Amino acid sequence: MAYALVALGFVLALNAASAVNFAHGDLVVLGGAVASFVGLSIGLPAMLLLPMVAIAIGVVGIVAARIAILPLASRPPEATFVATIALAAIIEQSLTIAMAGAPRTAPALLGGGSIYIAGFVLGRQPLAIVVLGAVLVAAVWFLLERTQTGRRMRAVAADRYMARAVGIPVGRYVMLSLALSGALAGVAGFLLGHQFLVAPTQGAGHMLKAYIAVALGGWGSVPGALLGALGIGLFETFVAAGFGDVWASAALYICVLAVLALRPQGLFGEPVGRRA
Amino acid sequence: MRLSPFWLVLLVLPPLVALATLPPFGQRMVILAGIYGLMGLGYQLVFGQLGALNLAQGALFGLGAYAAALAAPILGPFALPAAILAAAIPAALVAAPLLRLQSHYFALATLALASLVNLVAVHAEGLTGGANGLAGFATSLPRGPVLLVTVWVCLIAGVLLYAWLFAGTTGKKAHLLREAPLLAAALGIDGAAWRFVAFVVGGALAGLAGACSAALSGVVSPEATGLSIMVLCLTLVVLGGSRHPLGAVVGAALAVGLPELLRDLQGAWLLAYAVATLAVVLWAPEGLAGLIDRLRGARRSPLILPTLPTSVPPVPGAQRLTIDGVSKSFGGVQALDDVSLLVDRGEVVGLIGPNGSGKTTLLNVINGFEHVDEGTVALDDRRIERLPAHTVARLGIGRSFQALALAGDTKAADLARAVATGAAFLLLDEPAAGVGDHERRALPAFLANLRDAGRGVLIVDHDIELLSRACDRLVCLDRGRVIASGSPAEVRADPRVRASFLGLDGIAA
Repeated sequence: MAYALVALGFVLALNAASAVNFAHGDLVVLGGAVASFVGLSIGLPAMLLLPMVAIAIGVVGIVAARIAILPLASRPPEATFVATIALAAIIEQSLTIAMAGAPRTAPALLGGGSIYIAGFVLGRQPLAIVVLGAVLVAAVWFLLERTQTGRRMRAVAADRYMARAVGIPVGRYVMLSLALSGALAGVAGFLLGHQFLVAPTQGAGHMLKAYIAVALGGWGSVPGALLGALGIGLFETFVAAGFGDVWASAALYICVLAVLALRPQGLFGEPVGRRA
Repeated sequence: MRLSPFWLVLLVLPPLVALATLPPFGQRMVILAGIYGLMGLGYQLVFGQLGALNLAQGALFGLGAYAAALAAPILGPFALPAAILAAAIPAALVAAPLLRLQSHYFALATLALASLVNLVAVHAEGLTGGANGLAGFATSLPRGPVLLVTVWVCLIAGVLLYAWLFAGTTGKKAHLLREAPLLAAALGIDGAAWRFVAFVVGGALAGLAGACSAALSGVVSPEATGLSIMVLCLTLVVLGGSRHPLGAVVGAALAVGLPELLRDLQGAWLLAYAVATLAVVLWAPEGLAGLIDRLRGARRSPLILPTLPTSVPPVPGAQRLTIDGVSKSFGGVQALDDVSLLVDRGEVVGLIGPNGSGKTTLLNVINGFEHVDEGTVALDDRRIERLPAHTVARLGIGRSFQALALAGDTKAADLARAVATGAAFLLLDEPAAGVGDHERRALPAFLANLRDAGRGVLIVDHDIELLSRACDRLVCLDRGRVIASGSPAEVRADPRVRASFLGLDGIAA
């Protein structure tokens, strides 16, 4: 479910920027890092810490939009790729310096321990992740599909020029999408940060998983990205249970390459318009 | 651009200075800069010249390093060519499926490939030594001056070759492929072959760089295949200038020099490097080398915009273009329905019809942008309906475009390019749309020149008066079907043409 939040944020940024945000994985790590720093130094309860992390990383998302995405809107997507890769390196290196190389843990959302439901043992943290993830996904769905703001965000994603032509302030909505994307990344980082340690170098891995989820689920499709992320999570869990983590990653990469070799336009394809 | 003496001196100076004056530690840094330069030079071919974000260059570098480490004890100095092959052969094997992909899928596929290589490097302990890597192998070349000379001779030769190649037509072709791939195909440039060569040669250079780095450090670890090498390669090329011949060298010099300058700040040099890269992307997209050129006052040659060609030479080639029973549908829309027509040499045929009647689709089917569902297209007896656009262009079909694809392009330049390919037959898509009165008036004379030179012309336009004056025959399409064909007067008098196209439905003829 945390993958799903990462992929959801990734696809929002992707649609708004019409280019891959290579720094997205590092925003996730940043979320985990902020949670662990603040959580350890101030000792805020997790329920207050969570919105704080979301807001903080959302602001970072706005900064990312302002410096690496909006100024490059009229250039080929490769320019944004490079700018966000540079941004990713900046975040990673800053974190490396700030954390002095020692991985950290974010605080738990509901405290440790387990609860029993109908005879099943459930860890509190995994349960919290699933519930919170579902709530956030539903909230994003409601925002995109049921509000005027969401309709405008989708309009900007679908066709920036047309959106501008009908009077939508495109820059503001790109920033809003990136803020939302960043907030989701922050929450995901918080949640992952308790289960696994937070280390500055994890960003690329998070980004690659989200990238794969989006490519498999249908480029730019929000439900597709969620399905892709859940699919990757299940796939990895099962293959890892049978053959080990290494084979799970290897099999995932091989699957991606096979899919792209057989279907160059992606699994569900996007119509590639070719006009002279 | 030609390499100026300024850059030539800068290119040759580092190895000479290093050999003459620097202690072994300094020489080592110059060697490292040369190695990064080689890797970056290879990367410029794919990323700079063709604009494809390849994220596997670091993995190819790692392949070269491992190959050199494994082969050096057996092959000695010949481990270097072995390492080049170890990178170039896998690159060639994966190139065909990879290079078909659109930009973001290409980036993803190369990233997945690189992650796979990294995974093997970490976990195939029998072969690669696992996470600890390989150490203590006999080096292929002795460290110090021999390695320094080898690396820099290769680099200087590579930069000179690159500068020489991309100064001329090759550079223009690469520019077309990058900015306007359809136009490039219409001019007969085989984009797939180009990308293949660039990818494989780029990979070979990465392999060579990897092998030299193995010789330099005496250790190969999975980090050599990792993302950090890839990011370093990308940032150094962007920072230096992704197309400038010296771009990779400038970027590499900074990548090696900056950590020394900022040694007190320890890890901060990577941070400074990334910030500098971001700044260059935003404010100096041509890179530092390009920026230096600008500050030195080196000017690009001014752009000369061509006018419509006034003299058109006769050309050899096929005598007749035959379109027979061609159908084409997109989804549920029948764009072309059993269309047949002939164009002979020395004939100007006008294609008219309402918007969406299939005129541009017909041109696309003839020149190979689209492939027919049914029917044939032939030059004399040679069937061409299944051939790719660049092959069709080479067989003698030129093409101009409705919308201009290149920045600063003009319709006149577009027409001149099509004529200059020496094509026997020309497909002109709305040459009079969006041009001034002056050029529009020059068009009939231009078409007459083409006719006199024995070229065959199929022209689409909405200006029916212009076509009536300039064409020998008119063909009218409506919803993908030919509804009339003959002399301009006959076609204009046809009641169906008047109804569907001229908008005279209901007016007594």
